[in-house]
Amino acid sequence: MKLLELDGVSFNYGSQLAPVLQELKFSIGAGQCHCVSGPTGSGKSSLLNLLAGVQNRPHEGEIWRHSELITGLVMQDPQTQLLRQTVGAEVAFALENLGIPAENMLPKVQLALRRVGLFLRLDTPVSTLSLGQKYRLMIAAQLVCEPHLLLLDEPWAQLDDHGVSELLTVLRDLIAEGMALVLVEHNAAAFTDIINHYWQLEAGRLSAGIYTVRDTPMHDEPTRYRGSASHQGKVLVSAEAFDFCFDGCQPLFRCPQGFQLHAGEIVALVGANGSGKTSLLKSIAGILSLKLRIPLKVLGRKPKLGVYGGELGLLLQRSNRQLFETSVLTEMQFSLHRFGLPKERAEQMLAELGLMMLAEQSPHKLSYGQQHLIALASLACLQPKVLLLDDPLAGMDKHYYGKVWYLLKRLSAQGCAILMSSHRVVEHSAVSRQLSLYNGLLTETIFAMDERDVG
Amino acid sequence: MWVSCSRWRLFVRRCWSRECQETMLCALSLFFVCILSACAFVLPVDLLLPLAAINGFLVLHGLARRGSIMGVVKLGVIQLTITLSLYLLLYGVGHLAQGAVVVGRIMLATIPGWWLCITAAPERIGEVLSAFLPSKWAFVVAASLSLLPYMAEEVREIYQIQCLRGARITPKALRNPKNWPELVYCVLFPVLIQLLKLSRQMAVAAQSRHFGKSTRVTHWHSPRDKK
Repeated sequence: MKLLELDGVSFNYGSQLAPVLQELKFSIGAGQCHCVSGPTGSGKSSLLNLLAGVQNRPHEGEIWRHSELITGLVMQDPQTQLLRQTVGAEVAFALENLGIPAENMLPKVQLALRRVGLFLRLDTPVSTLSLGQKYRLMIAAQLVCEPHLLLLDEPWAQLDDHGVSELLTVLRDLIAEGMALVLVEHNAAAFTDIINHYWQLEAGRLSAGIYTVRDTPMHDEPTRYRGSASHQGKVLVSAEAFDFCFDGCQPLFRCPQGFQLHAGEIVALVGANGSGKTSLLKSIAGILSLKLRIPLKVLGRKPKLGVYGGELGLLLQRSNRQLFETSVLTEMQFSLHRFGLPKERAEQMLAELGLMMLAEQSPHKLSYGQQHLIALASLACLQPKVLLLDDPLAGMDKHYYGKVWYLLKRLSAQGCAILMSSHRVVEHSAVSRQLSLYNGLLTETIFAMDERDVG
Repeated sequence: MWVSCSRWRLFVRRCWSRECQETMLCALSLFFVCILSACAFVLPVDLLLPLAAINGFLVLHGLARRGSIMGVVKLGVIQLTITLSLYLLLYGVGHLAQGAVVVGRIMLATIPGWWLCITAAPERIGEVLSAFLPSKWAFVVAASLSLLPYMAEEVREIYQIQCLRGARITPKALRNPKNWPELVYCVLFPVLIQLLKLSRQMAVAAQSRHFGKSTRVTHWHSPRDKK
């Protein structure tokens, strides 16, 4: 049964602007799974909004919908979709709008939460969930209405491997029951089991196939790049054994051995959604003060906000929050100016990354990948001794992925100790060690050279 | 006769169900808060002390419900500093007490609102407001209240990120008024941009969850309150 069809649909965000989507022809039937891939900023999210019927701007061409079609849309950033303060109320929001009696809501809400693997109390504050858990909550908030068509924007980037595998099980069942699914995903391979149709969206055109990067990302390594397992540099961050707990709460995780970060090494901090990776990074940067202090020394001092100047950099998730200048160049020069460093570094960095064409553009008008890279580059310009990155590869396509790694290897070669968090194992030869944060335990894994070189 | 009595009892039981009690309690709290906040501005100075005592009870109750008063305290301190500085510059030392009373009134108007945010769920406030406001407006009020803790956290994170980037906005740097504009464009501008983006995305999120489709909106009641 056909649920939705686009015929010659074109769309733009203003009559003077270039069309985002051009002459799209696309049809979705019950029980089908379509995957749309494409570079960042190619209009994939706009396409999903159009399919969901929540795009308020007019479009050209025809969109046909089945008269009883119920669609569910989960956008990329779960944080901006939260409308209520507790888990139960959030999931029940759609039921309230459909006029479902209050006494019938509870079983539906509980079932939706169970389907996405969220076994939480209904009065759990949404603010206490990790980003991945919030994404699953958003899926539950859509599944509660039993949609005929579910639209998901980059689930792989938001969920850990366990979350993805649980989601796959749920989606497989739903598809078998006749629900149609459209995924926008950079990593289509993670959902191969359920995808029937592959599409690529580039320059506004939709065609069959999987998007592949044409302009090869930078692979040239800086001259002093030393390879992986050697991390004989000076100790820049050290922590003795500790229990990490928020005030008045049970320990979130324990670190019985402590850990160290050496100059010139890239260390991955890997753990499931909600395991405490971001909180640990914030503690190291000195912006999270807990009553039970962690026995930490960063650059020979106890962590405190603002004591390290340009020697410590922290890049949090949704890095576009820190942008405020009117051009990319001034944005990058801001910290250089404040720390009394040469402003020319900003231009050099942009040239090196092949982003000079963005120099005079407003940082707010860039795509997600570009904004993220600019935020990272403005930290890299400072040539910090310690760099803390919270999931810097999430939501990046292969083009920007290559540029991020180029920057990280360059900094590492300059002696910078980099600690990067991720909710899955970082498969890159530049990573010398891994701090694993699983089951409430922070432990260290050292990769042997030959082990890393396999494949 | 007996049948109509049972029906009446059933009707009363339904009307005075747990959900109804919660909603009524929230409506009373909302009314009480409006009266208290209005009193903070209209009562004569000599009646402010009893009002402060009532507010004191609200603070104790809010703290017992694990609310954090730090935000209100910070607001009070900033308000006091700015107001007293302006009174000192414009009217001299003799009028400082008047400035303090103005700040006191603002705080007495703020505390009941803080207490309501802690004791009542935003969706419950939305339900009460929907009785006399269009449901879309009630949702906007409830969503704005839900957004407050998130935006407070967002402001804090943006402030910390900009401090790490070298912005002259640390408490020490802000002692110099020359650095105050930096707080505006490093923190306030990004926060406003975030707020604009957020309001647009929240509207899409609400729309994608069938907001505005039905004229008969129902309301979720957490099973927690059943206890």
